[in-house]
Amino acid sequence: MRPLRILLALVAFSITTTAAAFAAAELLETGSSLVYPLMNLWVPVYTKAHDVKITTQATGSGTGISQAVAGVAQIGASDAFMSDSQLAQGKMLNIPLAISAQQVNYNIPGLNDVHLNFSGPVLAGIYDGSIHFWDDAKIKSINSQYGSKLPHEAIIPIRRSDGSGDTFIFTQYLSASAPSWKSGPGYGTTVNWPAVSNSVGANGNAGMIQACQGAKFSIAYIGVSYIDQTNQAGLGYAALENAAGKFVLPTEPNILAAAGAKDKETPKDERISLIFAPGANSYPIINYEYAIVHPKQKDAATATEVKNFLSWALTSGQDKTYLDKVHFIALPASIANLSKAQVAEIGS
Amino acid sequence: MAVAALSGAEQRRSRIAPLDVALRYGTTVMAFVTATIVFLVAIFLIIYAFPAIAFNGFGIFTHLEWNLGNQYGSGVEHRGGFIGAPGASFGAVVFVVGTVVSSALAMAIATPLAILVAVAMHYRVPRRLKTPVNTLVELMAGVPSVVYGLWGVGVLVPWISNSVGPFLAAHFSALSFIGSGAGSGNGLLASSFILAVMVFPIMAATMRDVISTFPQIVFEGAIGLGATPWQSVTTMVLPAIRTQMFAAAMLALGRALGETMAVLMVCGSALNQVPNSIFAPINTIAAVIVSQLDSALTDPTGMAERSLAELALILFAITLSVNLVARLIMRGSDRVKRTA
Amino acid sequence: MSEMTVSGAPAETTARSLSRGSPLVTIQRNVGWGISLLALAGALAILLAIFWFVLSRGLPALRPSIFTTVTSGTAGGLENAIAGTLMLVICGVILVAIIGFGTGIWLSSYAPPKPRELVRLLTDVLAGVPSVVVGYFGYILLVKLAGWQFSLAGGSIALTIIMLPYVVRGTDLALEAVPRELREGGFALGATYTTVLMTVSWPYALPSVFTMLLLAMGIALGETAPLIYTAGWSNYMPTLHATHSPVPYLTYVIWTFISQPFAESHALAFAAAAILMMMILVTNVFARSWLEGLARKQRGESS
Repeated sequence: MRPLRILLALVAFSITTTAAAFAAAELLETGSSLVYPLMNLWVPVYTKAHDVKITTQATGSGTGISQAVAGVAQIGASDAFMSDSQLAQGKMLNIPLAISAQQVNYNIPGLNDVHLNFSGPVLAGIYDGSIHFWDDAKIKSINSQYGSKLPHEAIIPIRRSDGSGDTFIFTQYLSASAPSWKSGPGYGTTVNWPAVSNSVGANGNAGMIQACQGAKFSIAYIGVSYIDQTNQAGLGYAALENAAGKFVLPTEPNILAAAGAKDKETPKDERISLIFAPGANSYPIINYEYAIVHPKQKDAATATEVKNFLSWALTSGQDKTYLDKVHFIALPASIANLSKAQVAEIGS
Repeated sequence: MAVAALSGAEQRRSRIAPLDVALRYGTTVMAFVTATIVFLVAIFLIIYAFPAIAFNGFGIFTHLEWNLGNQYGSGVEHRGGFIGAPGASFGAVVFVVGTVVSSALAMAIATPLAILVAVAMHYRVPRRLKTPVNTLVELMAGVPSVVYGLWGVGVLVPWISNSVGPFLAAHFSALSFIGSGAGSGNGLLASSFILAVMVFPIMAATMRDVISTFPQIVFEGAIGLGATPWQSVTTMVLPAIRTQMFAAAMLALGRALGETMAVLMVCGSALNQVPNSIFAPINTIAAVIVSQLDSALTDPTGMAERSLAELALILFAITLSVNLVARLIMRGSDRVKRTA
Repeated sequence: MSEMTVSGAPAETTARSLSRGSPLVTIQRNVGWGISLLALAGALAILLAIFWFVLSRGLPALRPSIFTTVTSGTAGGLENAIAGTLMLVICGVILVAIIGFGTGIWLSSYAPPKPRELVRLLTDVLAGVPSVVVGYFGYILLVKLAGWQFSLAGGSIALTIIMLPYVVRGTDLALEAVPRELREGGFALGATYTTVLMTVSWPYALPSVFTMLLLAMGIALGETAPLIYTAGWSNYMPTLHATHSPVPYLTYVIWTFISQPFAESHALAFAAAAILMMMILVTNVFARSWLEGLARKQRGESS
């Protein structure tokens, strides 16, 4: 019994002395699993050069926002900016740190090494079940080059089963380009997907890749940081129709073109969707990756650390050595300045 | 030889000492703690889910869809005295069906096999192999549920899609429940199989342990009367340990109903559809809570989060009912046996 | 199952159809033992398949340095996760031993019939609560309301709740199985109730209790969801603070790193899984061999 009693005493002692004992600055970044790889490239480098401990976590955009609001985390990472009704519960800073994109992958034997064309209405039709087979007239009409090779097989639409920023931006694209989708399921990190008999839900981007790879004639939407994986898995990726009616691939110039088109419109609080940006070369599915930060941190020391890290991310962190590994692109200079202005508002 | 609580005479017979009082008091407090924990969880769920119960009403049992509503629009929807995002409509049918069917199937597969294996582990496995075999079976319970999920996605699901599905479709195409082809492999069969594998060791290890404490003399007595070992087991051993087998099965059922990660990865995440074949995608309450919790947190009205709590409450109610019904059945069959 | 019914069937027919050599009996027993051994082999095969699945994919990351480096983003080592897992499980096991053994003893020895059935029912229902619900319960109650933030205390309590049903029922069943004669012998010699419990019943029941405790520990070690919401995660070694200090653990690595776009992260995830399974195996083996000695002494089994 003695060791037990000693142990219990220790535990009680730790609990009582703990509150005061939480010493050196420790930051928690949690949230979007899309930004997570980038954070994990930034944080080790930053913490080696600065005396601060930063823990990163991938829990999802919603959790990131909620824990940042609650003060449980200092930096909430999110692929979506906060909506008006969310902000009504408490003012938070939505600070873009980088720009990411999303591709549409498919697994059609024989066509995986070429790029098919898809448009918003066609994708909406696939995901609501009105377009059932790969050789549907609507798909063929936008694929003059490879349309004849499309097989008469049922399409298997793969969607995310977990709430995700990928679903958010994909459904934003569908809503922006297809009125039927906008008035129907709409957009969000989870939507009320129409019941399609073949459709499958997969967990996480990795799950999407696995499901797409395992099911022939399937189609999936996957974040651009996974494009190396999807290529390795032998999946094809599509050229998407943008607002100017052109079909473009998710290459860096096209993503940059879209980012540039919207940067003058970006308001000071930087809450804007980059989906379906105007411009002949603009890739239609891109988004800012946000750090959701409470303007009032718990104390001055924490506020300083948060500001320092975010400032570093907005300057040295924008270097290609980090961003290229995840296929993100750097913020245009004007946007980076807006972000830095928001960072300056962080206090305690 | 089950021993009930100490009879009053027994308690008086043993000399009362301060330690006795302390032990009795201490253990009663512990039992109280256990009961309190369960009540706390239940109360937490009821309080947290209350707004959703009012908002959803009976719709939760009739709607087929899980619709968070338009969270990026303006305005809210008022129902039952609480607000939700416009167009919000939460239905639990898909999840309740998925949970019940997958757990039932898993228990149907795992329970008889666990009993058989427990018997084999004690009566058939050579003495020298007993410890390694017992350890390995217990190790099965220690595989992280995430790892079961990964194995399911990496090995089981492709196997179902490439081998099991086509095989059944070729030979049993008339029975649409099993013969209509496998699709992606994610679905009811994959989920039930994984659940069966996960609950099997709980029952097998416990039952083996109970069998090992069964008096050898009773087993041998039956053989002395002319029974084969198999007959002795089925007529003497198993009936005598029915209560313990039942207890193990209830724990296993609890695990099956509440299993989260592994099922999430292989269930196919059905939306708006109930399974019409063993290869159809399903969704369970536990899996949908994990996958939808993050999205629910983006709902500024909080109704999505509350509705997930309502789902958890429904599962709590299902577990409670199944336990009660099973106990009634056990007690009923006990009575029948005694009066026969 | 051939119940020896008392009603109806003429004794002669029953006896003949149940006699050793009859074809019905032979088929029954061959099929019976056959299926049971087949099922056992199948179960072990699946276990080995999973072990192989995990080991083969984790091998690239299983270097000695994995034990001495902390995670660095989604790469590096697993020192912090291993330490955190050990801390969480040890605290959880201690807590569940206190509460679970106590409750089990109460159930089998002191409980009046109605409260006893009630507590048994409650424990069985607790086993059905999804681990994510336990985690979220802990998040709202402990992380937010009690203000503990992510903590060792919160994580341990979550694990305790997960393990409790198994330990309670295990203790309950094990003590119930102690033969009446053994206990009454103790009383006959004039021992107090506590002495009988500690020197007769408990040692006899210990192996079974341990089976359940190890089972519960295995299940707790493999849980992810409850810890994500209570222990959080940390890229650094866990401190010994009970609250306000997040704790890393191996299952987080498995769940999160596996979906990263880097091959190194995948290998680390599988390495974490392999290490976790090894931890459970080693604990099981040690506990078993210690108990073997005890069991042989206590039960007086005819070897």
